[in-house]
Amino acid sequence: MAKKTLEIYSVELSGMKDIEQTDKGNGKEKYRGLKNCFEPKKNHRKEELTKELDLDDHKLSIKELEKKYGTNIITGLSSAQAAELLARNGPNALTPPKETPEIIKFFKQMVGGFSILLWIGAILCWIAYGIQYSMNTSSSLDNVYLGCVLALVIILTGIFAYYQEAKSTNIMATFNKMIPQQALVIRDSEKKTIPAEQLVVGDIVEIRGGDQIPADIRLLSVQGCKVDNSSLTGESEPQPRSSEFTHDSPLETKNIGFYSTTCLEGTATGMVINTGDRTIIGQIASLASGVGNEKTPIAIEIQHFVHIVAGVAVSIGILFFITAVSLKYQVLDSIIFLIGIIVANVPEGLLATVTVTLSLTAKRMAKKNCLVKNLEAVETLGSTSIICSDKTGTLTQNRMTVAHLWFDNQIFIADTSEDNSNQVFDQSSGTWASLSKIITLCNRAEFRPGQENVPIMKRVVAGDASETALLKFSEVILGDVMEIRKRNHKVAEIPFNSTNKFQLSIHKTDDPNDKRFLMVMKGAPERILEKCSTIMVNGQEQPLDKNTAEAFHTAYMELGGQGERVLGFCHLYLPADEFPETYTFDVDTMNFPTSNFCFVGLLSMIDPPRSTVPDAVTKCRSAGIKVIMVTGDHPITAKAIAKSVGIISANSETVEDIAKRLHIAVEQVNKRDAKAAVVTGMELKDMSPEQLDELLTNYPEIVFARTSPQQKLIIVEGCQMQNAVVAVTGDGVNDSPALKKADIGIAMGITGSDAAKNAADMILLDDNFASIVTGVEEGRLIFDNLKKTIAYTLTKNIAELCPFLIYITVGLPLPIGTITILFIDLGTDIIPSIALAYEKAESDIMNRKPRHKKKDRLVNEQLAMYSYLHIGLMQAVGAFVVYFTVYAQEGFKPSALINIRVEWENSNVNDLEDSYGQQWTWYQRKYLEWMGYTAFFVGIMVQQIADLIIRKTRRNSIFQQGLFRNKVIWVGIASQIIIALILSYGLGSVTALSFTMLRPQYWFVAVPFAILIWVYDEVRKLFIRLYPGSWWDKNMYY
Amino acid sequence: MVIQKEKKSCGQVVEEWKEFVWNPRTHQFMGRTGTSWAFILLFYLVFYGFLTAMFTLTMWVMLQTVSDHTPKYQDRLATPGLMIRPKTENLDVIVNVSDAESWDQHVQKLNKFLEPYNDSIQAQKNDVCRPGRYYEQPDNGVLNYPKRACQFNRTQLGNCSGLGDPTHYGYSTGQPCVFIKMNRVINFYAGANQSMNVTCVGKRDEDAENLGSFVMFPANGNIDLMYFPYYGKKFHVNYTQPLVAVKFLNVTPNVEVNVECRINAANIATDDERDKFAGRVAFKLRINKT
Repeated sequence: MAKKTLEIYSVELSGMKDIEQTDKGNGKEKYRGLKNCFEPKKNHRKEELTKELDLDDHKLSIKELEKKYGTNIITGLSSAQAAELLARNGPNALTPPKETPEIIKFFKQMVGGFSILLWIGAILCWIAYGIQYSMNTSSSLDNVYLGCVLALVIILTGIFAYYQEAKSTNIMATFNKMIPQQALVIRDSEKKTIPAEQLVVGDIVEIRGGDQIPADIRLLSVQGCKVDNSSLTGESEPQPRSSEFTHDSPLETKNIGFYSTTCLEGTATGMVINTGDRTIIGQIASLASGVGNEKTPIAIEIQHFVHIVAGVAVSIGILFFITAVSLKYQVLDSIIFLIGIIVANVPEGLLATVTVTLSLTAKRMAKKNCLVKNLEAVETLGSTSIICSDKTGTLTQNRMTVAHLWFDNQIFIADTSEDNSNQVFDQSSGTWASLSKIITLCNRAEFRPGQENVPIMKRVVAGDASETALLKFSEVILGDVMEIRKRNHKVAEIPFNSTNKFQLSIHKTDDPNDKRFLMVMKGAPERILEKCSTIMVNGQEQPLDKNTAEAFHTAYMELGGQGERVLGFCHLYLPADEFPETYTFDVDTMNFPTSNFCFVGLLSMIDPPRSTVPDAVTKCRSAGIKVIMVTGDHPITAKAIAKSVGIISANSETVEDIAKRLHIAVEQVNKRDAKAAVVTGMELKDMSPEQLDELLTNYPEIVFARTSPQQKLIIVEGCQMQNAVVAVTGDGVNDSPALKKADIGIAMGITGSDAAKNAADMILLDDNFASIVTGVEEGRLIFDNLKKTIAYTLTKNIAELCPFLIYITVGLPLPIGTITILFIDLGTDIIPSIALAYEKAESDIMNRKPRHKKKDRLVNEQLAMYSYLHIGLMQAVGAFVVYFTVYAQEGFKPSALINIRVEWENSNVNDLEDSYGQQWTWYQRKYLEWMGYTAFFVGIMVQQIADLIIRKTRRNSIFQQGLFRNKVIWVGIASQIIIALILSYGLGSVTALSFTMLRPQYWFVAVPFAILIWVYDEVRKLFIRLYPGSWWDKNMYY
Repeated sequence: MVIQKEKKSCGQVVEEWKEFVWNPRTHQFMGRTGTSWAFILLFYLVFYGFLTAMFTLTMWVMLQTVSDHTPKYQDRLATPGLMIRPKTENLDVIVNVSDAESWDQHVQKLNKFLEPYNDSIQAQKNDVCRPGRYYEQPDNGVLNYPKRACQFNRTQLGNCSGLGDPTHYGYSTGQPCVFIKMNRVINFYAGANQSMNVTCVGKRDEDAENLGSFVMFPANGNIDLMYFPYYGKKFHVNYTQPLVAVKFLNVTPNVEVNVECRINAANIATDDERDKFAGRVAFKLRINKT
């Protein structure tokens, strides 16, 4: 199995040219280092992969191919053959990632979280009824109803969570969008258009510029075809295709076109050699879906919290069950106590609240161009400690732009910002005039028509990346390029090709007095220089001497060393006597001079960083997040970009830099001196996991270049081994496995491939790295606010639990009913706890370290203690005071209530005496009991208002935070009061709900306790602020 | 799941627990050092001490608002309930005539219940009041305390008084007496100045048949107004609750009979749907004879 997986990697790795060139011969053995990392991964998949891996179709001749696939390149397959193959191999479509069936997802919601506890509660209710029924057939159905209500609560919250989840997952379409709709195929000697899904191996298809390639095809005949393989290999340049076998590696050879890549120009005919999941892209896609989805940090935190609460509930429940039994309570009563304890302990509404809170943040983030696919991923960004960022398209603008010019022995900097408008270099020199002319004329790229109103930088161009860059550059500086070209009529042209490495064109000049032809040329600088005998300086031609040649080389090296692609430009005015106006140029025989040109200048281009990125990287730094660049690009380019965006900061050096500066060998450099490291995929594959670990720990600034999709995966895993929460950004199909593996995968919305978007948890709609910073901020805020929400919600659980404990041990009439508790948990408390999500950050959350996955828990001991044992108990005491007040004023003084439980609840005792000698029927008492419930409920509600206010901050005073800044809190408070009023005065007559009217004054009995809670918490916060690090701080700050 | 990744051996878990309970390096017991424990215990001692004090204080303040003599509110006691004696578990009076033990417990209870009604005790403690009118003892600005109560003599219960009664309130002969009393409610003027009485019927038609005839003491099941109003336990120390005794003379034996008694008074509603004991009482009567 290991071998099989291993081989997949080598296929893909061989896509990286440099590795192939420098490391030829070692073959597949060299990836042994990776093997162990992957062995434990899903190995059971896809036996058929082996077959594809020794793909040799590119080596075969057309005859052999015809034989192999039983087809004919003229007539194609017969329909019958095709149908048979289709039946055998299945449709030409990627199997969508295995989805959990909806019904299972739904049931998972029903049993996840607290649902199990509530189910137990519900079942206990029914058991209790069963026992009652067996003793007395006419027993009341209360317990059955309560069980049903509990079940209903579970089902409703389950449906709610399911709906929320479904809503957020459905944002994304799947891989299906990648499939080209139609394909032009030759079958039964006829050209037919069929849905691409029906293609089979052996079909002969025709491709035209603009088409997506419908399957992996072996090209048979090609006319000027170029394809964009960027989503597969990360190469941003169009790749020319031909029908010749040029390379051993199927990814390198020019006679293969890959499924889902785009044919940019030209036409081609090819034979389908692989379809569906067996295509190269299909294999990467399945690699991505094979990477297990990690549990998000917030999911782990919530699970941790559920465990705590469930632990408390179960242990208290069992403890009191045993106590009750040993106090000689009947088993039936004990079961009912147990139900009460469970219901009181479980914050029924909390998980729904968390979901709502997360989706609110997700909405807020979507407004800021971060689309969150997986709700829980909202928080993950906040706890992210390492961002592994792809370069192309994420950090850079993903388009070539002129960065530097060299003429008159001087390097000029061109503006590379997104709109390129601010070109400030000296344009007065005569050399620039000549250079600009060459740039304009020696260029085949053209704007697509009808874009006059589009900003230049956004216009669509027909032509390759460099030419596009030059076209836009000259359009910005010179104005209407097309017009200039028209005025300088082109009479002949040799397009660029890889053997010549230059491009040449001959023009009439726009000067009517000058009858000479102008010959302009651009190409690889060294090639251009060879053809020159003079050089233009300040508009004057000078002989090309050693000094100027040296200057040229220095400039060339400098620009090249910055990872920029350098082009040389030269021209030659053809003497009018030798080449009169009527002269016909023949590009095949080259009846014109191709040497003794005049060298004019150099121009270098780079895919420049987005202007927002450096700032964003700095912000990540100050937020304690390590930004690592992982790219398939060349190390030099990668390093240059890393430097310009601050991933490698200005004053840090790599080992190589130090060696160069000190003129010593790389081995002699003290590795500790280097802050930055540039690691290539080659070096990476030789590293043991320990070495990788060391690398990641020791260098704060790391750039990985020339990496393959698998290596990206290894890097991510390496980071995760250090307990880091890893975010990965990427756009290509090649990034998708790493995106999936990451704790949070971030795909680019505009340039991103569907595979990447599919594997990601979050999508940057504007492709802007800076949006990640917003995401981090929102994520951290939501974590803080969730803490507050949970603290708020947990607090009242004690106030709901104590009544049961007192009821069991002291024998008071039950202070609060199970249904009433549900009305707090799912009624009055819901909106306030959501309102906390709108709370602003207390301090600059972007200036602190990301939270430690294992140490900074969402619910920690302090939070539980403070909520349960401090505020919770205060609330319990306050609520009991309200309860006792109601009973005392109605006739039962506290002393009379002790151990009254059995008589109180006996429906045959209809003359129970109160403190004044009055006698009460059972129903009169029951009604008083409901009044007690309502009173207790109101007591908790009033104190929850105070609780809500104090939870606004954890450290700062409420007055520092601003009492009225978060308006939603006040909506929450209003909702609490209104719901309570409705329950008491509106529904007070519905006996099933056990609410009653309450005298207005009882609403205020708990107010002193509410004030006490507020004051107490202010004191707590004051001490925390006054004595940071003290015992108080450690025990009281949650 | 993270847990799966880091599966610990059993020994490790035990080891970790041991270290949690007592960490010899840091001298931590259950994750805290001695001083830390001292601090936290002290803190909770102070905190809960304060909380208890706060609770006591508010309760004390609250109890100041409550009078010792009359309750502040009587929202739920608009209609007094009715109740029977002997008091049984399920409000059923079952008499096995031949089995003395079955009814002896009822008799014992009744003896005890009726003891304060003995004429001698009544005469000693309570006033003879004028029947037919409320025995009002207003405070008139000064606390008039303790208040006097009217006599209800056991002899008023006639054949059900159990005085010199060899039939033990009729239980030994299958003609049991059941006593009906109305719940005490402070300052309640039952009957609204008109006479009132208790009536009993079989609940359904067959019950009425099976119930047979019965006699009531005092005659007609009358409850006199002089026993009202009630002034509460503290003021009305020797208050004697009026009773109505019903002696069932020929209940069909070996059948369960549902009996319902209600009070007919101008200001007591007896049709409350929810409170089955408001102004009425329902009980089961069964006389087993062999």
